[in-house]
Amino acid sequence: MEGRLANAWRLTANDKSFIRTALLSEIRIDGRKPYEYRKIVVKFGREDGSSEVQLGQTHVMGIVTAQLVQPYRDRPKEGVLSIFTEVSPMADPSFEPGRPGELAVELGRIIDRGLRESKAVDTESLCVLAGKFVWAIRIDLHILDNGGNLVDAANIAALAALLTFRRPECSLGGEDGQEVIVHPPEIREPLPLTVHHLPIAITFGIFSNDSILVIDPTHNEEAVMGGRMTTTVNANGDICAIQKAGGEGIPQRVIMQCLQLATAKAAGITKQIKEAVEVYNTERALRKIKRHPTSIGVNVKEKQDQSVDK
Amino acid sequence: MEEKQSGSPASLIDSTVVPGDVVLDLSSMTNQTIKLGGGLRQDCDAISVMKAGTLRFSKPNKYWVESSQKRYTPCVEDAVLGIVVDSKADNFLIDIKGPVLAFLPVLAFEGGTRRNIPKFEVGTLLYLRVVKANFGMNPELSCTDASGKAAEFGPLKDGYMFETSTGLSRKLLSSPTCPVLEALGKKLSFEIAAGLNGRVWVNAATPDTIVVVANAIMNSESLSGAQQIIMVEHLLKNIQ
Repeated sequence: MEGRLANAWRLTANDKSFIRTALLSEIRIDGRKPYEYRKIVVKFGREDGSSEVQLGQTHVMGIVTAQLVQPYRDRPKEGVLSIFTEVSPMADPSFEPGRPGELAVELGRIIDRGLRESKAVDTESLCVLAGKFVWAIRIDLHILDNGGNLVDAANIAALAALLTFRRPECSLGGEDGQEVIVHPPEIREPLPLTVHHLPIAITFGIFSNDSILVIDPTHNEEAVMGGRMTTTVNANGDICAIQKAGGEGIPQRVIMQCLQLATAKAAGITKQIKEAVEVYNTERALRKIKRHPTSIGVNVKEKQDQSVDK
Repeated sequence: MEEKQSGSPASLIDSTVVPGDVVLDLSSMTNQTIKLGGGLRQDCDAISVMKAGTLRFSKPNKYWVESSQKRYTPCVEDAVLGIVVDSKADNFLIDIKGPVLAFLPVLAFEGGTRRNIPKFEVGTLLYLRVVKANFGMNPELSCTDASGKAAEFGPLKDGYMFETSTGLSRKLLSSPTCPVLEALGKKLSFEIAAGLNGRVWVNAATPDTIVVVANAIMNSESLSGAQQIIMVEHLLKNIQ
């Protein structure tokens, strides 16, 4: 009991009242405006399908893996997409090791819903042999540091990992044409997933006094705010999901305002993710090109000779 | 932890030490009293290091190991910022970012008697001094200085408290004044209380001053003195 008390992260009464009073004059503790997003940094690992996202102090790692499995009976032609969240006490001492807490479950569900309900990932293209073999895509999200707004950071990590993931190509063979041959990456270039659009989760914090709205709440603000709403929208302005769990109620007018703000932000974030993926893909392609040091030397010499001739 | 022993000061001062290093040999020291700070322990005649960091020495006789970390290890005579977690009949339970909660006896105030026990709500921020820090025991705190005066200790009202590493909060308290505070102090007026447990409290007349000061301090962690001054000037230019 006492051990847990010592580990719990707590906010002082001073901070609580300061955050509220500062918000009244539209000041946030990290110097942002109420509708300003924190800086997003998207990085990739050396392996395909691994990403690392930093949103201010929040730090999330996403890893995508695939496996051949038997499809569900009612959907024999569709691949499987599943999301797992890993919330360790390393990120925040208030998380308990072992069984996933309420937050970890909710986090996984919001991202899962955004991706699945909007059919962002084309699951039909994951089918290898109807009723027998489909690809099961697994997204693992590891929370490395909790600086607030885990949902948005984890969502970006999941998208970035999905965009860079490549599954091995496979074909049917054998005597009856029912055998699946998985080609190793050296022989056939692995295939990227078909991602139709990017559902971006944008979280709003609602403060009870005068219904103040902030975008992308930090850890401290999360401890003070009365309610939270996550809207998942894409750059085209389609609403993929809305999550509003308990807490302070929101009038319809405010929800519409949130959706407008979210659509504007989603466009910017989508652009940023795509740019980062582009850079990764170019680097990846460059790594594939094999250069012989001698041939480069020869080329340079030839060019020099040509220029001298001219 | 006080030792009546003998010898010459260690040559490892201001150099990096790791756990297990023996920094002082008491058998070679005569008629000398030394005080041990955080990160050092005594095994018979040897003073050995318990955590990685830089060995520091302050005249006349105090030794400690300085490092920067998120979690605080309580050490006697440290000034810390604590948050009230609970109040019991004899003690307040205080969170000082340590491995266990610390006790603040209800009588450990200037002129404290059974009659005038202060009332603190959960979440109150206090500026305190560590009195006891033994292994296997909850640390004990006090709201008075060694002579029983209130000095600057006690509850901190309003303002904003943020968390830093223990190394940064030690830098803020160092003398001569840390460049970031020097630069901020030239333009802005604010109150600051830094605890060695990596908590810093700032108060000023307006919320935006508090936000500027707090962010400047948090950004200064990995910057050199000159860089800190440039950073502060840049921040202040944006405001005005």
